[in-house]
Amino acid sequence: MLEARLPSAVTLKKIIDAVKELVQDANFDCNDSGIALQAMDSSHVALVALLMRAEGFDPYRCDRNIALGINFATLAKVMKCAGNDDNLTIKAGEDADVLSLMFESTNSDRISEFDIKLMDVDADHLGIPETDYSATIKMPSAEFQRICRDLSVMSETVTIEAVKDAVKFIASGDTGSGSITVKPNQAVDKKDMEVTVQLQEPVKLAFSLKYLNHFAKAATLAGSVTLSLSDDVPLMVEFAMDNDLGYLRFYLAPKIGDE
Amino acid sequence: MGISGLTKVLGDHAPSARKDNEIKNYFGRKVAIDASMSIYQFLIAVRTGGENLTNEDGETTSHLMGLFYRTLRMVDNGLKPVYVFDGKPPTMKSGELAKRLEKRQEAEKTVAEAEEKGDQETADKFRRRTVKVTREHNEDCKQLLRLMGIPYVEAPCEAEAQCAALAKAGKVYAAGSEDMDTLTFGAPVLLRHLTFSEARKTPIAEFHLDQALDGLDLTHDQFIDLCILLGCDYCDSIKGIGPTRAVSLIKEHGSLEKVLAALDKKKYPVADDWPYEEARRLFKEPEVADPETIELKWNDPDEEGLVEFMCKKNGFNEERVRNGVKRLQKSKSSGVQGRLDGFFKVTPKTAMDGDKKRKADAAKTAPGAKKAKGAPATRGRGRPRK
Repeated sequence: MLEARLPSAVTLKKIIDAVKELVQDANFDCNDSGIALQAMDSSHVALVALLMRAEGFDPYRCDRNIALGINFATLAKVMKCAGNDDNLTIKAGEDADVLSLMFESTNSDRISEFDIKLMDVDADHLGIPETDYSATIKMPSAEFQRICRDLSVMSETVTIEAVKDAVKFIASGDTGSGSITVKPNQAVDKKDMEVTVQLQEPVKLAFSLKYLNHFAKAATLAGSVTLSLSDDVPLMVEFAMDNDLGYLRFYLAPKIGDE
Repeated sequence: MGISGLTKVLGDHAPSARKDNEIKNYFGRKVAIDASMSIYQFLIAVRTGGENLTNEDGETTSHLMGLFYRTLRMVDNGLKPVYVFDGKPPTMKSGELAKRLEKRQEAEKTVAEAEEKGDQETADKFRRRTVKVTREHNEDCKQLLRLMGIPYVEAPCEAEAQCAALAKAGKVYAAGSEDMDTLTFGAPVLLRHLTFSEARKTPIAEFHLDQALDGLDLTHDQFIDLCILLGCDYCDSIKGIGPTRAVSLIKEHGSLEKVLAALDKKKYPVADDWPYEEARRLFKEPEVADPETIELKWNDPDEEGLVEFMCKKNGFNEERVRNGVKRLQKSKSSGVQGRLDGFFKVTPKTAMDGDKKRKADAAKTAPGAKKAKGAPATRGRGRPRK
């Protein structure tokens, strides 16, 4: 059985809100090291990989590996019922057919409990190879969100070009074009505001803005975001959660020119 | 047409072999489409007031209309279609073809009778059954495809078999046909309803051969035998043996020879010269062009050529045709969205591999037995437990 208490219910709420439009149903795979999730969107362009480590919970108990098939629309609605200061306890019994969620508010005696019916979700699991990316860009997540939003005005596609000491986001469409350049800086006092670019070799790849805008919704989850790019491999967008809880990663297949 | 009752058999025994999908999820996929079948569909379906569309000279244009717009629909959704035309029918099929001819003549008769009586509804209904795809139809369609820049292949024999061969060789992702015998020919993936009208909102039915074999617990050879027993285009089925019995017979005996040996001939009369071996050979080694020698190339559409052919010769609206050309060009120019499954490989669903994806983080924990994940038998989207 699984029993885990998350200090802040809002964390899970933000995760679900960021993912629910890409994924309808998915399995939460729970084992003694934590809770993980991998799911592709229906057109197999984007992949969501979530890891919440056991250390991020207090307490965390999972004696047997279980897969909890969850409908995200339902879970999102339930998570809306969580207060900002609530903590969250999730429970699933041996061979259970429901996932129980309990919200406890820290400053009053309010306790709300919800049970969500589990589903049999059968989705393909993809093996994601370890990749040495040519370029790794770290920037404030709000900045990433804004870039994606602003460039959507011009086109459905953004070209991300990483060169030494700068990253350029370019969008050009029928009505015009636009570009946003981000340069590395060291924000002394605020680590989240830092921009760094680690470059093995320059890369230039095109991606669908529609998906990037979906990913950018996770900006509320973490102050900074890491974009990892290499030629001919999917882009990885990683939001690392505070307190070493884990990460929410998105993978996006690039757009390819005509063969 | 095809294999009688195979869809139902698969639905009963291998539900996971079928997945319903929206057409837009197939972007970037190359698909080999059975052209003759599609043209036939268009001739039946694309009509106004029960009559085929015609140009000024009274020649039918329904097939052009269908081919043009349905192909555009696929291209809009990012698919890369390639059409495969029938060659000569195999001699084995002559029986089936004679039957079809007979039906057609019967239908023609009914039309005439109904018209005499003034029963327009019946006349329309049966007129659809008199449809035949002629050489001219095929030639028209080939010319249209050339102008649109869509590749086509002329199969030496059966188009389904060629589609299957292309899919098997990895030249295309799937074969697009309504004929279930495309699976019997060994196509790993079969798509149905690809060329249906958008208005019908029919989802694309995707059939996976490996899943079908898994679900039925048969080898491909046994599957071919099963299809012959169910009834194919090449030889008659055995009277009294329906889908249920066919499946259990093949499962029990393992091959057609053994089934025949065990079968009570009095109850189920089998023709002495039942040509099942020949049919089996046709399924196993159909006459196809070597897929490796076929080069598929999607070219730019020839706008003026299309306008000349479609508008001047066949009376289509020029604006609509030019619009269609723009759609073709657009899909050519914009980059194609890649698919993740091209980069990440699906890990087999065994207990150990389920953990692999997390190995970076979970390596510290024992590579323990991750118990079968729910062991669901169904593919696709989730369904409630219980």
